Formats: sequence, structure tokens, C-alpha cells
Amino acid sequence: MSSPGVYEGAANVIAALMLLLEFGMLRQALVRDQVRLYAAQSALVSVLAVVIAADRGLPDLYALAALSALLKVVAVPLVLRRLLGRPVGEDTPGVPGSYTLNPATAVLASIGLAAFGFFSFGNLGIRSAAAPTTALAVAGAMVFVAFGLMIVRRDVASQAIGFFSLENAISLAALVVAAGLPLLLETAFLFDLLLAVVVFAMLIRAQHARAESLSTADLTRLRG
Amino acid sequence: MSAAVPIPVIQLLQVLTVALGAPGVMGLIGCVEARLQGRRGPRVLQPYYDLAKLCRKEALAPLGASWFFLAAPFVAVAAYLTIPLLIPVLTTYGLPLGYMGDILGGAFLLALASFVVATAAAETGSPYAQLGSSRAKTFSAITEPVVLFVVFTVALLTGTDLPYALAATVRSSAGQVIRPAHLLASAALFMVILHETGRIPVETHTGTNEFGMIEEARSFEHSGPYFALLKWGSMLKQLILFTILADVFLAPWGLASTQRLGAVLLAVVALIAKAAAIGVVVAVIDDSFAKLRLFKITEYASAAFLLSVLGVFTLYLGGG
Repeated sequence: MSSPGVYEGAANVIAALMLLLEFGMLRQALVRDQVRLYAAQSALVSVLAVVIAADRGLPDLYALAALSALLKVVAVPLVLRRLLGRPVGEDTPGVPGSYTLNPATAVLASIGLAAFGFFSFGNLGIRSAAAPTTALAVAGAMVFVAFGLMIVRRDVASQAIGFFSLENAISLAALVVAAGLPLLLETAFLFDLLLAVVVFAMLIRAQHARAESLSTADLTRLRG
Repeated sequence: MSAAVPIPVIQLLQVLTVALGAPGVMGLIGCVEARLQGRRGPRVLQPYYDLAKLCRKEALAPLGASWFFLAAPFVAVAAYLTIPLLIPVLTTYGLPLGYMGDILGGAFLLALASFVVATAAAETGSPYAQLGSSRAKTFSAITEPVVLFVVFTVALLTGTDLPYALAATVRSSAGQVIRPAHLLASAALFMVILHETGRIPVETHTGTNEFGMIEEARSFEHSGPYFALLKWGSMLKQLILFTILADVFLAPWGLASTQRLGAVLLAVVALIAKAAAIGVVVAVIDDSFAKLRLFKITEYASAAFLLSVLGVFTLYLGGG
């Protein structure tokens, strides 16, 4: 099989690394390490933006990469860490009973989800001038794995991180499909993320204040 | 420049390089590992002395063990010495016997060797040897799918599963190196190699605690020259796996493309250097991670499986 070239290869590798980090978040027990993985994944989005900008001559993307790095690599993890630092303590060993499946099973199940996302997005047949189709399919797989992460974990913090990384997956897809999207629109999407951070922050505080725990296991008993 | 080396001699040299270089690579890893821990550590040549010492010792067999117990080390070493004929050790061009078997052929030989050793260990009646052999078989069943998916990736990349073909593909362009399928398959293979050679995070290689042992426990009942053969066999297996990783996946450069003496000798040096480089990486990993609990090994295997499956995925849609 002929190789798709260095630029496409690099874009695909970055996308695949992001997917692997998503799996890392899925099986990582400590919320703090999940935040670290999220920061790394966000950094990769910026790297990909720079790669596309350099290869396709789209100077807007440099600005987007810088803004996205500032927001998602620095600000959001900082906020999350502060949030987790106060209610749960410095060395929180994760939320007990957070896993509904054991990690190996969760990974295997998510491979199934990733396969579904990968092939369904791949078969849409979307071609873009900016980035390779495989990267788009990987973004699709990431969306599904992020959903999987939110489903298999029972603590609010992990679910928040799952949601934020979902946004990363969508950023990746947006970069691949429409790298030339106006900067204003891309920035608007980024600020949507801030809204989600605020909402999840309130959710985490509220859940902790009410149940003395970040686990959502108790919530199943609440019936109307 | 220099005289051409006849093909059969090169073929023999492939086996000799692996056979004689293997203890050295093992010794180097032990030495680097000790230095990283701030110890002086054994000499690089220590494994050679160990093997020589064991060969002079008396051999004992447990009561009731059959001929199979004594034959197993020989079968295992014979299998390990056959594999260098099948994989690119020194040359970029296929040697006549190189087409006897493909990657799966090599994998069968590795499996055969590990099977006879495990059977011999099970035959001894010693609880620890039996524990080792049953664990080794259990976990190799878990890592087998990973190996299969790595082979699938190779097959999809090259249209064949000859190791020479993949090495040639990787050499052909930078685009072949940076494609995700290749990188993911290489990473998965590296994880399998850490498992197969009994390294951290799966097993403590130099540990003496029997409860954590997998591969190491199998040779408990062998002694003297038989034990030496088993130890040499595990060194051979290690160098063979390193050779596959280096010469087929990561760095198929520095191999001889002609029959000239200089090129072939250079290839021998390059192979040992590449194996030493991988060995240093393995030693660093050995010193920087803790051993996984036995029941966590499935998680390690599932991570390797994830890498290899994603490798196959990305090849579809033509992009990987």
C-alpha cells in the first residue's frame, strides 16, 4: 500500500495520539492524572493546528492554536485542579467505586465504540482540502470514546473531563473538515467551552456539597 | 573493495551473530540497569561466564521426569536458532532459506520453544515451575491477539507477511515511517516484547520472589548444562525479538545490501548496536516503573491490543 505522504502521516499520527490519550483518560483512575492527559490532548490540537497552518498556508490558524493552547492547556486544567483541590484534598486517590466496568473491559468495550465511530465517520465520504480523511474518522472515534468515558465513570469530575475532551474531538473534526473556517466562529466555539467549564464547576461543587462525594452512584436513588 | 561472501556463509553468520551476541546484549542490559540504580553491577560479559560455569556443573533431574524434561532445552534452543534464518538479521535481500517461513512461521517457532519449556516445567511436579508454566501459557494466550493484529498491519501495509518486505517498505520513504499504522504496530510490538522477555512492567527479570515470576520460574528444576541451555534460550529469544523490532519495524537501516565482506561485517556491528540501544531503553523502563500486579497484566495486554487494533483501523480509508 502506498504511503499517504509525510504531511498527512503527521496529521494522522497526531489524531491517533489524541485518540490514545482519550483511552488513557478512560482507564486512568486518578482525576488529577486525567486532567494532565486532557491538557496533553489539548496541546496536541494546537500542534495539529500549527501543522495545518504551516502546510496549507493558513495564518489564521496560528492565532487559533495560540488561543486554544492558552485556554485549554493552561486555563481549563488550572480551574479544574483548583476545583478538585479544595473539596477533595491534595492527594485524592480517585473517587472510590468510580468504575462501572473494570479497566480492561472498559478499554475493550471502548475499542468497539471507537470502531463504530471510526467506520461510520469514515464512510460519510467527507473529503477536505486541509487534512486527511483518516484524521476525521479518528475524531469520530474520539467522540464515541469520550461518550463511553462519561458512561463508564461514576464521578462528576471524570464526566466533566469526558465532556471537555469531547470538545477536543470536535475541535479536531473542525480542523480537519473546515480548516479555513473564519477565526471568529472558531473562537466562539472555544468560548462555549468556558460556559461548560462554569456549569460543570457548579455541578461538581453542588454534588460535593450535597453528597460529600463526587460519585454519582447515590443519584440513582433519587426518583420523582 | 573487498571480497564477496558466499550466500551460505552469510546465512550461517546470521545465526552465529544472534547466537554469540545474545548473552552480550543481556549482559549490557544488566550492567546499564545496575548503573542506573547506582550500583556497580556485573560485567557486560558476565552472562558468558555464567553459561560457561553452568556447563561445567552436574546435571540433575527430578525423580520421575521423563526424557522430555531433558530434551526440552535442546528443542527450544534449536527453535530459537532457526528463527534467524527467517528474518532479516544482516541483509536487505532475502537469503535462500529466508523464504522457508513468514512472520507467522517465526511466531510458530517461538511458540513451539515456549511450549516445550512449559511442558517440561509442568512435568517436574515442582509447584513453582508448574505455576510459572501455567502463568506463561495464560498470559501468552492474552498477548497472542496483539501479535496477530501486528501481523495484520504488516500484511495490509505490504500485501505480504514476509519480514523482508516490510523492512523494504519502511526503508522506501519517510512517509512510510510516519504513518500511524506503522508507529502503532511498532509500539504494540514493543509492549509484547517487554512481556515476552519478562521485563518490567510484567515481571521482574532479576527478581527472586517466586510469587511474581512468570517466565523465570519455568527453569527452576533444570540444572547444569540443561539450565545453561534454557538461560541461553531466553537470551536468544530476547535478541531475536529485538532484531525483529529493529530490522523489520523501527530501523531497518545499516543492513548489508551487497555480499561484500565489509558491508556484512558492518551489518553485524549495526545489529548489535541497535539491539544495545533497545536494551538501554528496556533497562531505563526496568528502572523507572514498578512491576504490575499479576491481575493487572490483562490491562497491560489490553493497552497493547488497543494500539494494534487502532493500527489496523487507520489503514482503512487509505490514510493510515
